[in-house]
Amino acid sequence: MSASPIRTQSIIGHMDADDRARVRLAVKDLNFYYNTFHGLKNVNLNFYDRQVTALIGPSGCGKSTLLRTFNRIYSLYPEQRAEGQILLDGRNILDPSIDLNELRSRIGMVFQKPTPFPMSIYDNVAFGLRLIERLPKADMDERVESALRRSALWDEVKDKLKQSGMGLSGGQQQRLCIARTIAQKPEVILFDEPTSALDPISTGKIEELIEQLRGEFTIAIVTHNMQQAARISQFTTFMYLGEVVEFGPTERIFMTPEKKRTQDYITGRFG
Amino acid sequence: MAAGSEALSYADRKSGSQVISLTGRNAIFRALCLSSAILVLAVLAGILIAMFIGGWPAFREFGLGFFTGSAWDTQNDQYGAWPAIAGTLSTAVIALIIGVPLSLGIAVFLTQLAPGWVRTPVATAVELLAAVPSIIYGMWGLFVFVPLFARFFQVPVSNLTEGLPIVGTILYSRSPTGLGVATAGIILAFMIVPFIASIARDMLAQIPTVLRESAYGIGCTTWEVVRYVLLPQAGVSIIGAIMLGLGRALGETMAVTFVIGNANRLSSSILDPGSTIASRIANEFNEALGLQMSALIATGCILFLVTFVVLVVARLLVARMKAL
Repeated sequence: MSASPIRTQSIIGHMDADDRARVRLAVKDLNFYYNTFHGLKNVNLNFYDRQVTALIGPSGCGKSTLLRTFNRIYSLYPEQRAEGQILLDGRNILDPSIDLNELRSRIGMVFQKPTPFPMSIYDNVAFGLRLIERLPKADMDERVESALRRSALWDEVKDKLKQSGMGLSGGQQQRLCIARTIAQKPEVILFDEPTSALDPISTGKIEELIEQLRGEFTIAIVTHNMQQAARISQFTTFMYLGEVVEFGPTERIFMTPEKKRTQDYITGRFG
Repeated sequence: MAAGSEALSYADRKSGSQVISLTGRNAIFRALCLSSAILVLAVLAGILIAMFIGGWPAFREFGLGFFTGSAWDTQNDQYGAWPAIAGTLSTAVIALIIGVPLSLGIAVFLTQLAPGWVRTPVATAVELLAAVPSIIYGMWGLFVFVPLFARFFQVPVSNLTEGLPIVGTILYSRSPTGLGVATAGIILAFMIVPFIASIARDMLAQIPTVLRESAYGIGCTTWEVVRYVLLPQAGVSIIGAIMLGLGRALGETMAVTFVIGNANRLSSSILDPGSTIASRIANEFNEALGLQMSALIATGCILFLVTFVVLVVARLLVARMKAL
């Protein structure tokens, strides 16, 4: 990560070749409040179709907060509110008339800690599907198997589908959560520090998985691990104190950051 | 350097005389605590032994028939505990059928749905229910609830079910006074709600937020989150909470004695008067002599054992969740 000369570009930056990528999720003038605390300040940001966008920044910079606006999970807490627009394929998901259950099946989320549900491995995956579709048993089996295969878990669990999901190792549980999410065929998957509770080998498997999933889904990932962001993302957003400091193709953010603060953060001078 | 000098002073202290007196005081403190703990066990064992000795004549006289016999004849000195056992169990079951959904509803509301400013007052009110003395429940039950229950439930229901098979037996009252097994069960339900609700609330509150969020995150409605994720996650502990309530319902005396009607015979209708072990003991203990006294103590023995087992199992189940 050598310090390169700072070029003069807008915050959003020129996408150059990447301009062709379709915008899946567009954040416009987003402000977020915890009671009176101003957690996100005028965030403008795009997430591109079938690309991995990493959100990096020091703790408390608002990257998780931003992620949590996309499936409106924050609305479980009455003291939290968002203003502005988040357009998913042109439709504002902050609109009060949006069906939250439908939204959340279109925008999946994988959390920091693995959260298997207290049911069998099979049901962990089938549960989410049953919420949105009525499928005959054979189709259901097929969908469950395909989700488990795509999350690289099938070979490890195919003989114990009836056993509880809680009995798996941490890394397996996290892949089960990913299987549960992709089974619903969402358009966007949000990862909130998905590997921070895992050992390096499990982390490697999850990263590999995200790499594969990129072909099908739009992915946003919050990470504290700079190498991880560099390894798996195509775009990187650096946030600080609730603001987007810099956004652009990952390579450029890491090789030639425009802002001094970005450069300081990625070279480890603060954060 | 600092670490070295600290180690030195520690060694100094260790060789000093202060340590010995500290150990001495520790030993006294230890002995006091230990004897308090042993005292409780001794009292428990004493009660158990005394009750068994007191009840032994009845057990010896009637054998296993004491559990199944339904006579309670003071003239001929014939006693059987079955009507009281059946009354105890059926009031407790009715209390659970009504009380458990109510308690879970309260717990779910308080942990999942209620806005912050509603939470504390409602939670406090529920806990205050536990502080109401049972004699108050009994009085309120007898003077307020019983007449209303007779008028608005017993009479219409008896009219409806008269002559029907099965329901005509279970839900029919020949003399709808309002007193009866069902009335006692309902009053008991209110008495056990605070216990079950507050433990269930603690258990639900202990579930990590992230599990709840991930259930919402795949598009569950609140009902689905509670039904398929939170309650199964709290699992056995909720059963433990229910059993704590059951323990209370089995042993409750005063309120039940007021409203159950205190009939010695066994009726097949829950709207008819009956008795529980506790209410029978409370009613007859003053005048009981000889074998009747022994029979009462023997029923008490049965109640004690049942309640004890229920409570031990309940504690174990609740402790399992806390250990997780």
